[in-house]
Amino acid sequence: MYKLTGVTKDYPKGRGIVQALRGVDVEVADGEWLAIQGPTGHGKTTLLQMLGGLDRPTSGSILLGGDDLARLREGEVTRVRATSIGFIFQTFNLVPTLSAQENVETALVPLRTPSAARRARAARALADVGLADRAGHLPSELSGGQQQRVAIARALAKQPKVLLADEPTGNLDEDTRDDIIALLEGLWRDQHLTMVLVTHDSAIARRAQRRGVMKHGELAISNDARRAPASPQ
Amino acid sequence: MFFTYLRRELRHRWRQATIIALGLALGIGLVVTVTALSRGVNRAQADVLHSLYGQDTAITVTKAPSFGSGGPGGFRFRTGGSGSRPKAGSKVSVDSLTSTALSAIPASDVASVARLNGVAAAAGGLTLNDTKLTFTIPSQSSGGGSGGFGGGGGSPGGGGGSSGGGFGSGHFPTPISVNGVGLSGNAAALGPLSAAKLVSGRTLTVSDANSDVALVSSNYATAHKLKTGSVVTLAKTSFRVVGVVSAGSSNSTDVYIPLTRAQALGTAQGKSLKGKVNTIYVAAGSATDITTVSKEISANLPGATVTNQNGLAKQLTGSVSSASSLASNLGRWLAIAVLAAAFVLAVLMTTAAVSRRVREFGTLKALGWTSRRIVRQVVGESLVIGVIGGLVGIGLGFAGSALVGSFAPTLSASVGQTAGSATPGGARFFGPPGGSGGGGGLPGSRRLASAATTTVHVPLTATVTIGAVAAAVGLAIVGGLLAGAFGGWRAARLRPAAALTRVE
Repeated sequence: MYKLTGVTKDYPKGRGIVQALRGVDVEVADGEWLAIQGPTGHGKTTLLQMLGGLDRPTSGSILLGGDDLARLREGEVTRVRATSIGFIFQTFNLVPTLSAQENVETALVPLRTPSAARRARAARALADVGLADRAGHLPSELSGGQQQRVAIARALAKQPKVLLADEPTGNLDEDTRDDIIALLEGLWRDQHLTMVLVTHDSAIARRAQRRGVMKHGELAISNDARRAPASPQ
Repeated sequence: MFFTYLRRELRHRWRQATIIALGLALGIGLVVTVTALSRGVNRAQADVLHSLYGQDTAITVTKAPSFGSGGPGGFRFRTGGSGSRPKAGSKVSVDSLTSTALSAIPASDVASVARLNGVAAAAGGLTLNDTKLTFTIPSQSSGGGSGGFGGGGGSPGGGGGSSGGGFGSGHFPTPISVNGVGLSGNAAALGPLSAAKLVSGRTLTVSDANSDVALVSSNYATAHKLKTGSVVTLAKTSFRVVGVVSAGSSNSTDVYIPLTRAQALGTAQGKSLKGKVNTIYVAAGSATDITTVSKEISANLPGATVTNQNGLAKQLTGSVSSASSLASNLGRWLAIAVLAAAFVLAVLMTTAAVSRRVREFGTLKALGWTSRRIVRQVVGESLVIGVIGGLVGIGLGFAGSALVGSFAPTLSASVGQTAGSATPGGARFFGPPGGSGGGGGLPGSRRLASAATTTVHVPLTATVTIGAVAAAVGLAIVGGLLAGAFGGWRAARLRPAAALTRVE
């Protein structure tokens, strides 16, 4: 699915340059779950943004199903994001003025899905995350865990190939964290997603097939054998 | 989704949206009011000119009396040798219909003007004053010479008696302003009567050309208790009133009589006006022809004063002129300033709103929303605010115009007349009360010929036009687009990673 070769990312900072990524080489297979850990400020989020086409690397290539996200035109990258990539953020990033249902629908807008089909798919996605009865609620009327479920529904409503999650449980309590991870794991397995998940939580990282550690912009993949998707319990 | 998102955003940010909309509304309301006011002032100005110079008469041709011609209508009694001077103590009545400030023009010139290129129609008229005087001949201190009064204008001192036999004091009644109006062909549609509305009786017709019939203005009729069937005396001739007309408060003509009768009875500089006119009313084929036609007439009638409405507007002084200047200068700039401030406010607030939604737009971009779609969303929101502001602004404009209509004072306009220009109103200033003794001449009479001034009063109305409403809607859309474009441009510039990182 993903093949990153020599990916670097430099940011100007004052008179100097910060090297956020220093020659990252990694491959992520179809349907694989890769967890990335590492200290704050060492490039985890930057790497995730490169994978999601939210930013371009300074050098190197990022192949996603044959397309090099580093070289595609902006419109094409936008199309890839709209069709193939789902995002989950630590702070949920829901549109505060839209209901849960409408927030999920925002992911289907770029696909030009007819409104009736859009509503149906959004409702189904909400049902998949157990929030069918909260479709009309505004984010401010939902708990943190529920908001993250809405965000997951939004990411998955368009049936993406890739799910990129940046600290999805960072703002949640322990019980809710377990619920969300269980939900993500179930969706990853059921929908055969390729998932890259950034987390500080080793307990969560251990549930992934592979783990990598970002330190000073370099990614070190653990030599553990790939774990097979867990069978339903 | 577009409208749902738009509606939710506006509802969420209703305070900010209200402030932006009110700012735009204030600017647009001011523009509408000033436009309406400006139009009202222009209309008042046009009304003044229209009433003074006649409807459909874009150009007026007159001729100034030549210097030293004796001025308008002096009364003289020769005493040397002829023995025609009345005896001292005897009463003398004078009733003369004279062309006071204008020289006679051959009626044939009317036809030659009518033949000029660009002239739709031309008609002659006589602008006259009927002056009635009754006085007692004073005793003569020494013989010889001539005593007199009046005769101003032409030569300083008028007909001052060489022996001091002038009338040192006397009361001059206000003269009657008389218009001799043509009744055939296009003549009725030109000149001062064309602007008049019939109040009672009938108007003058072609068959009245040689009859002693008259129309009186409603003001004059009220002041002198005249009605249809009454009689007015002009130049010692009785005219039967056949109708009462209203020509607007700014028209000072008292009596309208057939041109033929005015020519028969009137005099100018002591000469009969038979076959003469003193004003030619000209209608140009189109407004764009006015300047060209004016030049043509000047070339064909040397010495004639050719006046068109453009020139007349410049002669206006008084509150109409002040209001016009106020509306076009202060009002316009005030409206522009407020509108510009409203636009800037809208742009700044929209931009600030976009800045607060960085994460939101960054997230939408991460979901695959194009920059164009996000810009469209922002512009859509701004446009709706702009249109709401525009609608409220139109309402404010109507309210402002209504306030102007309710509280604005009546405007006055003064037209300073130089000798030779046709001004029915000007004739009213003949012989103001009081005179200087000795030397015979009455300075007041001279003033008439040199510089009479007519002041008229017109109500100020401010009417909002469809054009102003359309302009307001246009401004609202421009304001909305402007604010949305700036806000949208900022949103479009956002790179999703930067937007998300900035928040985090």
